[in-house]
Amino acid sequence: MKGVLLSGGTGSRLRPITHTGPKQLVPVANKPVLEYAIEDLKEAGITEIGVVLGNKGREAIQELLGDGSDYGVEITYIIQGNPLGLAHAAGCAKDFVGDDDFVMYLGDNILKQGISELVESFNRGNYGAGIALQEVDRPEQFGIADVDNEGNVTQLIEKPDDPPTNLALIGIYVFSNDVFDVIERLDPSWRGELEITDAIQALLEDGHDIDSHVVEGWWKDTGKPEDILETNRLVLEDSRLKQDGTVSEDATVEGQVDIRESATIQDGAVIRGPVSIAENTVIESGTYVGPYTSIGPNSTLESIHIENSVVIGDSTIRTNGKIIDSLLGRGANIGSAEEELPEGRRLVVGENSQLKL
Amino acid sequence: MRIITHTCPACRTVVSANELEVNRVMKCPGLGCDNVLRFEDLDQEEREFFLGHAEQYEL
Repeated sequence: MKGVLLSGGTGSRLRPITHTGPKQLVPVANKPVLEYAIEDLKEAGITEIGVVLGNKGREAIQELLGDGSDYGVEITYIIQGNPLGLAHAAGCAKDFVGDDDFVMYLGDNILKQGISELVESFNRGNYGAGIALQEVDRPEQFGIADVDNEGNVTQLIEKPDDPPTNLALIGIYVFSNDVFDVIERLDPSWRGELEITDAIQALLEDGHDIDSHVVEGWWKDTGKPEDILETNRLVLEDSRLKQDGTVSEDATVEGQVDIRESATIQDGAVIRGPVSIAENTVIESGTYVGPYTSIGPNSTLESIHIENSVVIGDSTIRTNGKIIDSLLGRGANIGSAEEELPEGRRLVVGENSQLKL
Repeated sequence: MRIITHTCPACRTVVSANELEVNRVMKCPGLGCDNVLRFEDLDQEEREFFLGHAEQYEL
């Protein structure tokens, strides 16, 4: 079985962070979202992975993943270009997949429990496809699957007014090779895209059985800033964190705290986990880093109180204020205006930024 | 919808026809690959089909 990891898309809901990079490289607990997908595929025994790239952030993704050898996998790149839909992305992978089955994984999704059970369930039968589902509170807002007593999918409905179940499709699928013939017969939807739900529905209509697997642990699509913060919280809560960095004698470090090698917590700083502090970052005296916060590499924090936030990296934050529920892009710097006149905040803010002052 | 791609013979990177058509001539986007890819690398029938249905491959 092969893996097809979708890494295109514009990331418009994550602007301004995605003005300068692809959404799949935004870090959660100081690790790019895309790396979690690579790890899930490898854990499921899938080491040949096709990474589908769109028009945005190609070089950055290739620079991170390389040929895959750092992750113990073999990566082939597939250039989709225009984002013409998930089924189009799958279709672009046809030559890479060859005669195999394949897992298609949306690169901005993170699952607590991985994909091994989904793959094993698919392999136990003779299915045209297998889909990962999760119970949701508002099924009318999702693509919903109806399933029989044996877990076989009987129908897919997009955002139904009267949902037959609360089982929503999440962004992970297993496909047999038959899906390529079906994709050739699809027409673009009203939004001009080849829809993956149309491909699965066509497999059903062709008489293929479609397996389903209900994901029990959390699942997150990291498409929006608040999703990044929540996923960061979930991952930090579940992680076994270790301290390889330097903690000064008079610093206070409580709870689960990940301090990477070459990170420094200086005297008078307070860290209350779960927290992740990346390489070459210095937490100076008078700083409080509270629960569910990740501070990226090459950053310096002084005097700030920060909590439930993600600082992507290369930042200097020196001010007495409090920052909560925030996502700071790479190289964002915050200083103090305390002794400057006239009084007031001084901002240089990019397009699509969101501030609450 | 017919999806047309070309696989770089040097590094196996796959490039969709719309990407080849936009660039006409491009350095292979594969990592460290110096191969040059052209829209003309596609079969004539594939090129004609793509150009005859170009609206399908646009956003």
